[in-house]
Amino acid sequence: MPKEKNVIIAKDLCLEYKKDVPIIKDSTFTIKSGSFVFITGPSGSGKSTLLKSFYGELKPKSGILQIGGVSLNDIKSSKLAFLRKYLGIIFQDYKLIKEWTVEKNVMLPLLIAGYSKNVCEAQTKRLLKHVRLSGKEHYYPLELSGGEQQRVAMARALAHNPVIILADEPTGNLDEYSSRVIWGLLEGANEQLGTTVVVVTHSIPTNLKVPFKHFYIENGTVYEIS
Amino acid sequence: MKSLKNHISLIIPLFAILFAVEFYFIIDKIIAEYEANLSKDYSIIVVSQKPLTLVELKAVEPDIVAIKEVSSELILQRLKQNGVEVDYKELKNFLPHFYKVYLGSFPSASTLKHIKKVLQSVAGVTRVETFTKVHEKIYHFLIFLKNISKFFLAIIFVTSIMLVFKQIEIWNLEHSERMYIMALFGAPLWMRNAILIKLSIIDTIISTLLVYAIYSYLLSTKYLKELLGFENITIDSHDLLKDAVWLFLLGILISVVNVLIVSWRQPKIV
Repeated sequence: MPKEKNVIIAKDLCLEYKKDVPIIKDSTFTIKSGSFVFITGPSGSGKSTLLKSFYGELKPKSGILQIGGVSLNDIKSSKLAFLRKYLGIIFQDYKLIKEWTVEKNVMLPLLIAGYSKNVCEAQTKRLLKHVRLSGKEHYYPLELSGGEQQRVAMARALAHNPVIILADEPTGNLDEYSSRVIWGLLEGANEQLGTTVVVVTHSIPTNLKVPFKHFYIENGTVYEIS
Repeated sequence: MKSLKNHISLIIPLFAILFAVEFYFIIDKIIAEYEANLSKDYSIIVVSQKPLTLVELKAVEPDIVAIKEVSSELILQRLKQNGVEVDYKELKNFLPHFYKVYLGSFPSASTLKHIKKVLQSVAGVTRVETFTKVHEKIYHFLIFLKNISKFFLAIIFVTSIMLVFKQIEIWNLEHSERMYIMALFGAPLWMRNAILIKLSIIDTIISTLLVYAIYSYLLSTKYLKELLGFENITIDSHDLLKDAVWLFLLGILISVVNVLIVSWRQPKIV
């Protein structure tokens, strides 16, 4: 992914699932490289829809959407697969592969990137220690608590040192301890590695140490608040 | 248990396809050997006023591999046996040359007609006897057998391919979440479908081994050995092993093509 000052650019962006029922309409905004961004708004306002468009699951109906200088308007599958190698995505429902062990789940982006087995194993071990799940490498996701599963998802999102982390309600269902770990990891990635972090959430944590930007969605329009 | 059921659902149609293909291979081999045996025994009788040579006949029909002159003594002896009263010494001087002409392969009815015409055009040849009626009966029977096995193969192939396709669609659905997650992290198509291809390879190996084992057993039974041995036809285990390699490759091709078609038919994960 080319290094761009503005890592995400949206101009007159319109997103819709059904024809003529726009979820996001005529929104223009930019997200700078290395920034920490929150996207908030009422339920059903289109926060997750906007995030989906960032990782290419929903194509813009009209307007322009660029991630790292790559236009997502008419992106081909192969180019999208290439782009996604630079993204780390975290979901509220974790989206772990149930049939795989914790270790293999964390390894997924590294396997896709084509790293050797030794590198994958070493990186996975380091990350699992980082998310405080050492010793649970051979567990299956369903043998873990929700908080632990989200930490596995976090480790997976960080495994390949992504340029952008996209998180959809990452602490929505979590206990306080797991929430603190997740926010700490996101802050760490942003502060130490310069990773751009975009988080969709209902409420912004009060004890965040890093400076952040806040986008608010209302009636399909994205407003930059701070 | 569920996994075993899933595997059996693919093994059965794959087995049916491979079994039918191997059946066709074997029928083809039996017919080829039978034809080779027939061509060894089969000969055309050529009557000529002047002596003929193999080179001369080969020049007009390259498939001719040997000629054998029928002794005039033999013909005279037959006449004597039938009690025909003639001056045999005198007759011997007037008798034309009789030849048995052997071909390299068992000819089709149309080829035979062509060969007859060509031989008749050779200088000195007065008569060519191809025993067309007997030949055609055998030849048509062989063609019938070949066509029946082709028809049988086509029906099994089409129905089984549909079953293979359905099973791979079920697998695709079962693993859709995993494939979706992999796509979100940028996995290419082959990596997303690796699980389906892996399952297909396992089932193809099992199906191929089953087909090989069943045919090895059938061809080693006393009944079939006697039946084929009667016509001097043999199919050895080496042939079956070679076929098994082809069957395995065919099975893999069918599975992989089906996996690709199923994944292309799916709504694109974008």
